[in-house]
Amino acid sequence: MNNLIFFLGKALSFVSTRLNLGNGSTWPGHIALKLNKKFVQEVLKKNKLKTVFVVGTNGKTTTSKLIETILEKNNIKIMINSSGANLLSGVASSLIINSDFLGNLKKEVAIFEVDENALSVLSEKIEPDYLIALNLFRDQLDRYGEIDSIAKKWKKTIGKYKNTTLILNADDPQIAFLGLKLKLKTYYFGLSEKSLQTKLIQHGADSILCPNCMTKLNFESYYFSHLGIWDCPNCQLKRPKPDMTSFSYYPLSGTYAIYNTLASVVFSKALGLENAQIEKALKEFKPAFGRQEEIIYKNRKVKIFLSKNPISFNESLDTVNKLNGKNLLFALNDQIPDGLDVSWIWDIDFERLLEKDMNISVCGDRKEDLSLRLKYTDCFNHVFTDLELGITKILGNLDDSETLYILANYSAMLEIRKILTGKKIL
Amino acid sequence: MKLKLTIGWLYPELMSTYGDRGNIIVLQKRCHWRGIETEVKNIGIDSTKQDLLSLDLIMMGGAQDTQQEIVAKDLIKKKETLKTIIESGIPGLYICGGFQYLGEYYKTANDNKLPQLGILDMYTENPGGERLIGNIAIENIDLFTKPTTIIGFENHGGRTILGSSIKPLGKVIKGFGSNEASKEEGAIYKNSIGTYFHGPILPKNPMLADYLISKALQVKYKKIIELKTLDDTLEENARLQVAKKLGITI
Repeated sequence: MNNLIFFLGKALSFVSTRLNLGNGSTWPGHIALKLNKKFVQEVLKKNKLKTVFVVGTNGKTTTSKLIETILEKNNIKIMINSSGANLLSGVASSLIINSDFLGNLKKEVAIFEVDENALSVLSEKIEPDYLIALNLFRDQLDRYGEIDSIAKKWKKTIGKYKNTTLILNADDPQIAFLGLKLKLKTYYFGLSEKSLQTKLIQHGADSILCPNCMTKLNFESYYFSHLGIWDCPNCQLKRPKPDMTSFSYYPLSGTYAIYNTLASVVFSKALGLENAQIEKALKEFKPAFGRQEEIIYKNRKVKIFLSKNPISFNESLDTVNKLNGKNLLFALNDQIPDGLDVSWIWDIDFERLLEKDMNISVCGDRKEDLSLRLKYTDCFNHVFTDLELGITKILGNLDDSETLYILANYSAMLEIRKILTGKKIL
Repeated sequence: MKLKLTIGWLYPELMSTYGDRGNIIVLQKRCHWRGIETEVKNIGIDSTKQDLLSLDLIMMGGAQDTQQEIVAKDLIKKKETLKTIIESGIPGLYICGGFQYLGEYYKTANDNKLPQLGILDMYTENPGGERLIGNIAIENIDLFTKPTTIIGFENHGGRTILGSSIKPLGKVIKGFGSNEASKEEGAIYKNSIGTYFHGPILPKNPMLADYLISKALQVKYKKIIELKTLDDTLEENARLQVAKKLGITI
């Protein structure tokens, strides 16, 4: 049966790609599951694929890309399903797309980026060999809901795993708590670098209560938001000792990128790779689209930072500051993938992170809201209605040593990328 | 005379989920631009009765369920003081969870009836189904010299029903409102305003921010103090953008 499915599925995806009906990503999977409900489980088993789920509000795509780079450069064959992994049909489709007509996958590792609300449903069908959990921050509350309820659902789901290896962020209390009191093999990553620590809590720190007893946590220091060195004064729950706190090389700037790198290194080491092999591979890393991606446009350097919630926006701004960036464009849309609610721009720490000598412009569907937000932080800004003209105008005023930093949420980032590269993605 | 207002932000660590601190920023800045000095006092679990009584203006935001439970326990201890403050006409802006606390009770999705502060004649029920989410516009006829459209974003599971002795903040033009049936949103009682508006509410409704500031000055200095007019062009642009999205004219 499965041979027939692979043949049909491959043919279907070939035809739909050829006829430009989209990349054919979901149809083959739908049909496969109609013909054989156990298709995914059978294929995974037959090919002895190691499955990895990556979850977290921020950093899923970058972490997957880091792992892909490390493994590929070390001749381990890997497939990534970044879009559509939230449904079993999406997983089925990606298995078909990555196989040949005879159903041979020729891959050893499969990575699935799983949305906050999809982990439970997907885990009922597939118990992953590895679960990497990065962080939980407020994000699109109108769509994902509140983070406490997500954390509770995850805890319940992970509690049912039997053989999964967990790779968890020790510095995020709700993430660290996922692994406690379980008999699963668990690795923790977290930071120790003193120069990155701050004693002050930043606005928008979400998980400041003990995930076990709801007492207010004590933080010895913070890295950003609610990530830090924490303990509970009531039930004695505390940050687990990380198995890894630093690495010899980081391919991306910013504190948040250190966490993503550590997660990918811990996983690669669990697969048996050595530090030297990992470092060598990471030196050839190229960012995922829109994640600190550098594009040359009209002879000027442009760097795009996907910034989709208060914490990712704060961390992008902090990184731009460290890179001494002075020319910034913020783009805010409110389309379906972005969430309809733009309230979160008031949780961004512009007051702390903007420098007086920055040249700032805004654009996007909700440019008026952004411009208003910046007015209330006493920041003069230019408003552009036409994205392409706006970017051209800003770049026209830069000299060739300067970089334009663009912070954009999801659909705005895709639009900008299309202008800069002249082609569509996804 | 140098004017000064003490703004109380109730439970900023626990009740600040949906960008509600934008309301504090707007109140501070609109005072600052007019030469009115402000001090923002964070009111939390450790705060005393004296802390509460020192406030000229109050803002309380919304929160997640766990945080709301913790705050509810603490609010019981502060109930009488808060009641005195609200009854004496100290203006306040109570958003979402902050709004619900002021009523008689909150009935959860599994029929658990939790008593609230009982300061306002209203109650809230959470039927457990769909949350009411989206851009919203309402018309207020009470607070300003002419009927005024208030614009924002709502996201709430609770449905609040007002008693006969209390006025809504406005009639729904587009969106859901406090509950599906009444086509009304929020509440006004003395100088306190309760609402489900996130967005946050004040940046795109500067007249409401100015209303709260005027009332606070009036109560504190016992006379009407004219507020200097500010340039609200950017505020107006942001309002028009959402109005256009909602298909209404303002």
